[in-house]
Amino acid sequence: MTSDLGQYLSDGELGVDGWTAALEDDRLLGQACPDCEHVTAAPKAACARCGSRDLDPVELPEEGTVYSATRVEVAPEGFAAPYTVALVTVGDARVTARIDADVEIGDDVRFQGATESPEGLTPLFG
Amino acid sequence: MREATIAGAGMTRFGVHESTLPELFADAALPAMDDAGVEAADIDALYLGNTMGGQIEGESHLAPTLASHVGLAGVPCQRFEDACATSSNAFKHAVRAVEAGHHDAVLVGGVERCSAATGRETDEMTRIFASAAHGTYERPTGLTFPGVFALLTKRHMHEYGTTEEQLAEVAVKNHYHGSLNPRAHFGKETTVEEVLEGPIVADPFHLHDCCPFSDGAAAVVVASAEVAAELDCDLVPVAGVGHATDVVPIADKAHPSVTRSARDAASQAYETARIGPDDVDVVELHDCFTGAEVLATEALGLVEDGQGGPAAAAGRTSLGGEIPVNPSGGLKAKGHPLGATGVAQLVELTEQLRGDAGDRQVEDADVGLAHNLGGDAATTVVTVLEAAR
Repeated sequence: MTSDLGQYLSDGELGVDGWTAALEDDRLLGQACPDCEHVTAAPKAACARCGSRDLDPVELPEEGTVYSATRVEVAPEGFAAPYTVALVTVGDARVTARIDADVEIGDDVRFQGATESPEGLTPLFG
Repeated sequence: MREATIAGAGMTRFGVHESTLPELFADAALPAMDDAGVEAADIDALYLGNTMGGQIEGESHLAPTLASHVGLAGVPCQRFEDACATSSNAFKHAVRAVEAGHHDAVLVGGVERCSAATGRETDEMTRIFASAAHGTYERPTGLTFPGVFALLTKRHMHEYGTTEEQLAEVAVKNHYHGSLNPRAHFGKETTVEEVLEGPIVADPFHLHDCCPFSDGAAAVVVASAEVAAELDCDLVPVAGVGHATDVVPIADKAHPSVTRSARDAASQAYETARIGPDDVDVVELHDCFTGAEVLATEALGLVEDGQGGPAAAAGRTSLGGEIPVNPSGGLKAKGHPLGATGVAQLVELTEQLRGDAGDRQVEDADVGLAHNLGGDAATTVVTVLEAAR
């Protein structure tokens, strides 16, 4: 699953540019820490749990479960409310995403690709 | 190590102010200096809390400007920026500097203007507040600050059965407390029905589950016990300060609704003060949203996990209850000028521990605790103050 991720890496690392480029291709990437097994959908220079810099880029599963969700009705400048923002569990990671459906905690959702916003690209589930 | 004390305290009314940041700051700083019985020449440094002044008012080198305005030109100045935990972080550093002997007396203040008097509309201010969320992994989703705490609170409701009515009870309590505080942004009481009938901001939060955009300033003089003893002041010793952070963004936190940084900061503060949650008599905590108060009462160990909602509904956290929380009205009713909030909590506790809090006085208040949170619950500063013996 992760064999063709080279195009998104810089010096073998997954950074913001690669993560965003993958999202443009409707792919959701993350990092797995081989030392503490923390998996994140928000890549960093080192593991947020243990500090290890030896991180493996991974492609995250497309099937997820809603961990928490809220319908935002008072939006920041540039956004059109209402819309739903959720924390979605995907495999061993969690991702902050937009949801294009009415959802409850525990609902199964599926990665739909990227959606544009005034602040940049964001994952969409539904 | 030397002991740090609060020698003087002052704050403005919170609400809508047309005055400039220097004018507003002076309305808290000069009363704090007068309360401590110090003059400008006695102050060794200014530690300032202001978080959004650059974005909201285009002010990016504020500390020396404010120092000059209140007669402190020349002292070392430092502006702290840690989202809503800004001025309690300034306070922590002032305490450390006094404890270490670097300074004898430090003016610690916070000032912020967030109301419509700044010329910023709600959607613009919502965007500016959201700048405390992660720029790549959170802001593009349109996540707002009510949204951040809604995500934490919805999970808490799912795990423990906390209800919207229980959240509304927090607002009812804090509005009642605020009605007793002449400096509060909101001086009117509210009801559960009124909260639940209000428009949704980010579900489960209705408008009155959320704190207002306020303007205001607060200041304290932190002095060594030795110096404070020589002053004509009613000093309040600083028994402990804890400061911890958690992973950003919220999706990466191990258990977001547990608010780990609050638990870690509280443990540090309790340990330093050599007390436990049962010893605390009065609490000012960061109720930017009703759900945030529920989570904080649990994280601080004031109630058992899952009991924050029922405790508020049963009056356990009200004035006259077993552990009064936010007698000032909290952020919810007193108001939330971001950079002033942390020190304002300490001003309230100083007055409570001196027995000077008037209609909202907590009986026999000897130990006070402040909990000030910043960003997506990533930063928390917890302070324990004890009445002088």
